[in-house]
Amino acid sequence: MMRIPTTRPWSAEQWLLGGMVLALAATCIGLLLGPQPAASAHLIALALLIASLAAAFLMMGVVARTHRQMEAMLRGRASGEERAVEALRNSEAQWKEVFEHNPVMYFMVDATGLVLSVNTFGAAQLGYTVDELLGQSVLRVFAAEDHQTVQRNVAACLDNIGQTHNWEIRKVRKDGSRLWVRENAKAVRRQDDRLIVLIACEDITERKQAENALQQSEMYLSEAQRLSHTGSFGWHVASGEVIWSEETFRIFGFDRAPSIKHATVLQRIHPDDRTRVQRTVDSASLDGKDFEHGYRLLMPDGAIKYVHARAHAVTTPSGDTEFIGAVTDVTARKRAEAELHEAQTNLAHVTRVTALGELAASIAHEVNQPLAAVVANAAACLRWLDRAAPDLNEARGAVRSIISDGNRAGEVIQRVRALMNKTTGQMAPLDINEAINEVIGLVQHELQSHLVSLQLDLAAALPPVVADRIQLQQVILNLVVNGIEAMQPVTDRPRELVIRTRHDDAGQILVTVTDCGVGVATENAERLFDAFYTTKASGMGMGLSICRSIVEAHRGRLSVCRNIGPGTTFQFTLPLRQEDHGW
Amino acid sequence: MVIGRAASPSALANVEDPIVFIVDDDLSVRDSLSSLFRSVGLRNTAFGSAHEFLQQTLPDVPSCLILDIRLPRLSGLDFQAELARADIHIPIIFMTGHGDIPMTVRAMKAGAVDFLTKPFRDQDMLDAVTTAIERDRTRRHEARALANLRAAFATLTPRERQIMSLVTAGLMNKQVAAEIGVAEITVKIHRGHIMRKMAAKSLPDLVRMAQILGIKQASGGAQT
Repeated sequence: MMRIPTTRPWSAEQWLLGGMVLALAATCIGLLLGPQPAASAHLIALALLIASLAAAFLMMGVVARTHRQMEAMLRGRASGEERAVEALRNSEAQWKEVFEHNPVMYFMVDATGLVLSVNTFGAAQLGYTVDELLGQSVLRVFAAEDHQTVQRNVAACLDNIGQTHNWEIRKVRKDGSRLWVRENAKAVRRQDDRLIVLIACEDITERKQAENALQQSEMYLSEAQRLSHTGSFGWHVASGEVIWSEETFRIFGFDRAPSIKHATVLQRIHPDDRTRVQRTVDSASLDGKDFEHGYRLLMPDGAIKYVHARAHAVTTPSGDTEFIGAVTDVTARKRAEAELHEAQTNLAHVTRVTALGELAASIAHEVNQPLAAVVANAAACLRWLDRAAPDLNEARGAVRSIISDGNRAGEVIQRVRALMNKTTGQMAPLDINEAINEVIGLVQHELQSHLVSLQLDLAAALPPVVADRIQLQQVILNLVVNGIEAMQPVTDRPRELVIRTRHDDAGQILVTVTDCGVGVATENAERLFDAFYTTKASGMGMGLSICRSIVEAHRGRLSVCRNIGPGTTFQFTLPLRQEDHGW
Repeated sequence: MVIGRAASPSALANVEDPIVFIVDDDLSVRDSLSSLFRSVGLRNTAFGSAHEFLQQTLPDVPSCLILDIRLPRLSGLDFQAELARADIHIPIIFMTGHGDIPMTVRAMKAGAVDFLTKPFRDQDMLDAVTTAIERDRTRRHEARALANLRAAFATLTPRERQIMSLVTAGLMNKQVAAEIGVAEITVKIHRGHIMRKMAAKSLPDLVRMAQILGIKQASGGAQT
């Protein structure tokens, strides 16, 4: 608010000037009116008088203006001072306001730790009023176990006056609840030479909780990665920057680093797989499409690891392509698979031997039948000849039987040798029909003795399949024997077994073995292929399980289905082309 | 009777001559055995299965059965058990292509005459057949004797049966008379009838018959 004065008294200068003018005027008048006035002198004096008067008025004007200016100036200064004081007063109130209610807790404590001052916000945050804290030890708002830390921190401030220290600590509210704070503190010397410590602290509980949650989540993630042998990675294509998780470093056997060079990674990849990996990665970086591949790592100690990696392409807001992926160490799985395969091979061998053992009884029977006939016929022949009147016709008949039985025994031996002589574990092109016929030769007796009629429906001119003959024959033998056994309880209809081969639409060879036996309940159909599952009183339950492994090792499929009529059909497929075996 | 020598052709015609049955699913084996038995003059009939064998009525002559242990549908051992259940007591000789001890033991325990492993010696087979037929002949003879004895016993009156049981239990005539409350002379007359009807030559002979028939001392014996 401005105060403008309405009246202005004359200043001393104005009075002086006025006086001087009056004096000059008096002098002029005296000269004019005095004795011996000369006309010219009177005129000069009058002129001087007028000039003086003019000068005096001029001077008065100047002085009056200056005076006004100075007055205005003085008046202005006075109001500025007033405003400044006012502003200062306002500012202090504002700052006080800020200080009291700023969401920061301010404490002023003395060297012994007594609270000299605290802002309202600070006290309220801790559930106290300001008065409750003033004069109290600051330790009151800390947990007992943190008291030493507090004392140490205050001491550190006091040791380095003017230097700011900060730390994170928990505080305890009046109600006992706790909060995390970050404190900035420094010791200063007051004018009265006393040392005080100023502390500003902010509540970081939420941040701390978030931090802890993040830490825990990271720990879980890291632990999960470690447990699952799966590491994660990020790959920024444009910059070539690769970021790995801890587990990825562990899998690749590198020390942890913020980022890693692509070339370094490549060096770890098995030389045989390096080109392929490089190609996959290159093409992915070009089309920015998800990729998945498996490869080996050659570790510095010479060990080989099998890993499987999948990556998902994402486009960053800036338009760059980035891959986010996971890499899994599948070495253990690979090893287990290899061991399983070996175990299956061994088991298949054992069962083949067992099957041959079982066949041996059958073979012995098949050989001994003609042999017994030969011996008996020979004996009979001798007796016919030894008679008083030798019966040559009977003797001839006996000898003929001997010849035919001898041949029959020879054929049996040949069939067995044909089966035994085949080397195992060799994949070679073979005619499936021929393989089936060889098996049939061996089970003739089984078929006959179980009164089973066999019907062969073999497609002509089938392309050869690449397979292990012995293993395939083992599968066929198993299916045929199963079919025969399944028909054992059947008495009300002919026991018929049908073996069919086909070249199906999918370009596979299809072999089916159909019986008209007791059939399999649908719910048990799949369990038939489980190891140790059997519906027979005697039997290990390995047969079909092994058959399935054999067929699958040939990249085919073995399945079972119920017939429309009575009985069951087992069928397996064999692909004509062997594809690459990837993982 | 010993087989092994050439028998006269006329022997074949005799319906009382023994007969050998052969059951084997293998035609060659059946034919060779048939030829062997014919060459020594043994009547024989061959069948492809146990079922076929059961279809025919067994002749009332000494016979034996040569059975392959491995038969379609019904094993030789099971067939043996089935015959026993049906009260057919024909002696059995087993043949097997691959004999094993448990099988042999089971067959022999069940009364088999022999167990021959293919291929077998002809003489072993003929010896086994001789043994089997002799055993059957004896069994048939005993069966016939028992049947005769039973028929004779059936002709006795109730009083005679009572007296026979007491006499064969070792009681004197006087004791028997006291036991059943008749005169001693009456007992003597009954005893005479019993001896004649039973065709017993002596008291020990009658005691043996009583044993065979399984006669025990009549209830309410001497002590009561």
